[in-house]
Amino acid sequence: MEWLHSRLVRPFRPLIRERHTLPGILSWIGLGTLIAFILVGIFGPVLVSIDQTKALAYPILLPPSLQHVMGTDGIGRDVFARVIWGTRTSLMIMAIGALLALVVGFPIGLLSGFVGGKVDRVLVLVMDSVYAFPGLLLAALIAAVIGKGIFNIGIAITVIYIPLYFRVTRNQTLSTREELYVEAARALGARSWTIMLSYIAYNVVIVIPVIFSLSAADTILTAAGLSYLGLGLEIDIPGDWGRDLSDAQRFLGSGIWWTSLFPGLMIILLTVGLSFLGEGLNDIINPLLKKERA
Amino acid sequence: MLLILLTIVFAVLRVIPGDPIAALFAGRAPPDVVAQTRHQLGLDLPYWQQYIFYLGQIFTGNFGTSIGENYHGKSVLAIILDKLPATVELAIGAMIVASIIGIAAGVVSGTNRDKPSDVALRLYGTIIFVIPVFWLGQILQLIFAVDLGWFPAQLRFSGLPFPNQVTGLYTVDSLLQGRLDMFLVALQHLVLPSLTLGLVLSGFFTKTVRANLLRTVNADYVEAARARGIPEGRIISRYAFKNALIPVVTVLGLQFAILFAGAVLTERTFSWDGMGMLLLKSIDSADYPMIQGVIVVYALIIVGLSVIIDVINGLIDPRVRY
Repeated sequence: MEWLHSRLVRPFRPLIRERHTLPGILSWIGLGTLIAFILVGIFGPVLVSIDQTKALAYPILLPPSLQHVMGTDGIGRDVFARVIWGTRTSLMIMAIGALLALVVGFPIGLLSGFVGGKVDRVLVLVMDSVYAFPGLLLAALIAAVIGKGIFNIGIAITVIYIPLYFRVTRNQTLSTREELYVEAARALGARSWTIMLSYIAYNVVIVIPVIFSLSAADTILTAAGLSYLGLGLEIDIPGDWGRDLSDAQRFLGSGIWWTSLFPGLMIILLTVGLSFLGEGLNDIINPLLKKERA
Repeated sequence: MLLILLTIVFAVLRVIPGDPIAALFAGRAPPDVVAQTRHQLGLDLPYWQQYIFYLGQIFTGNFGTSIGENYHGKSVLAIILDKLPATVELAIGAMIVASIIGIAAGVVSGTNRDKPSDVALRLYGTIIFVIPVFWLGQILQLIFAVDLGWFPAQLRFSGLPFPNQVTGLYTVDSLLQGRLDMFLVALQHLVLPSLTLGLVLSGFFTKTVRANLLRTVNADYVEAARARGIPEGRIISRYAFKNALIPVVTVLGLQFAILFAGAVLTERTFSWDGMGMLLLKSIDSADYPMIQGVIVVYALIIVGLSVIIDVINGLIDPRVRY
């Protein structure tokens, strides 16, 4: 546990060192945004009653006012309350998706990079194919087959991010494998498993925050997209930005802007924050990764 | 790669635990209908038999017949071919918008490194790329369709009789017919969806063009040109820009995935009657053969495009040899 701690905390050290450079500033803005959203996700629903997110809680389509800062929607729900509750939903899906992708993608990438040869080639081909396919379509297909719900959407999204975790882990493993200390361990007669787990994995873990923040924005967008298409969550989830946008669609023609604007702004704030964090971290921690992505 | 993609689609549709037919009907049909549907589609056979049948279907171009309420009994392939042009038209429109905005922004950004215009455009590139495309579409609808009334917000065509179907691209068909008025109507309908999808894609173009231009602007041969006293504008357009575009074409291949995913959402926002809408309707009506057909066609398009990109790459970059 000690080593995992030191590995996951280590990225923050350069983050503090680089706080005056552009990537540093971006990362801090991003991190701040993410933390703010997490706080809203945890405490927002405590402060805003769930009753306000239910249909017919208020008169329909009230424009923003002091009572309803973001107005009410087409079936009488408070837009602000929906937006707050939606934060929790989005963060939960993001966490499930990222965690599952990590649990599957990381070990496969590690193994593929370490073993090399035919296994590696086949895995890379499969992962690249999945990567080339439109992620949203694949997720939509999976969601349609396994059904709605926060956990199911998490799974559907995971499938499209496994290739990313795989690819970055594998590349990092490949370069770590050639390091002198690995060579030294091998010369000392360490077994393959030992080398892979305690020499290589140890040094590859550092890329995880980067992959997470690079894929997290996309995760949010895909989840919202699925909900928008009506393939996402059950109808009784108290907050769901994608569905809110889908519901808002009908009223656009009458110039009702608030039901669309606010959920969208929430998505953008979160995704922009995450991508700032991702790109900042990427520039700081791993210039090498960036080269491979470009 | 094609085979792998097809296998993955197969795996998702058949091997994933759970019953796709039951999930698709979502309790709307009695168990015996579900069982009968499954039998009718051969989903009760062993996987290897299904797999062979499935590949056979694809390579003979026979995708079966629809079982959904919308197109019951009709050939899946015919319906898909009917809807495909709409998606192609939208994709081309979006690519044009994305290339123009993205390349222009990338060049401005790359030639003014670290100046305010560069920083602003880089921010634009990052932000526009993570804006939900369906939300952007709604906002553009609110502004340009509802408020200003410049463009229609929905559908591909209205007001006039539809152009004769030749290519299925309404803009092209109307021109082939020599009807400028029809062309303008089609174009008007195309503007907002293309702009929506194109803007989102332009973020990526901006970044890639900028990064590559930065690399070529300082390359030796560009320095040499500079030393010979060639004006800076000409250096950028003739020397740096051309070489900066080559890697852009390479990464373009990966953009098609985003393009088609975005197209599904954009189609929904603008009621654009293409493949994406067809897929959504098919999922709604539990039209299993149609879903499979649409996804397979998407896979074929993606693979086909990536082959084309490879060929183009070989043509414009003499260093690439196959």
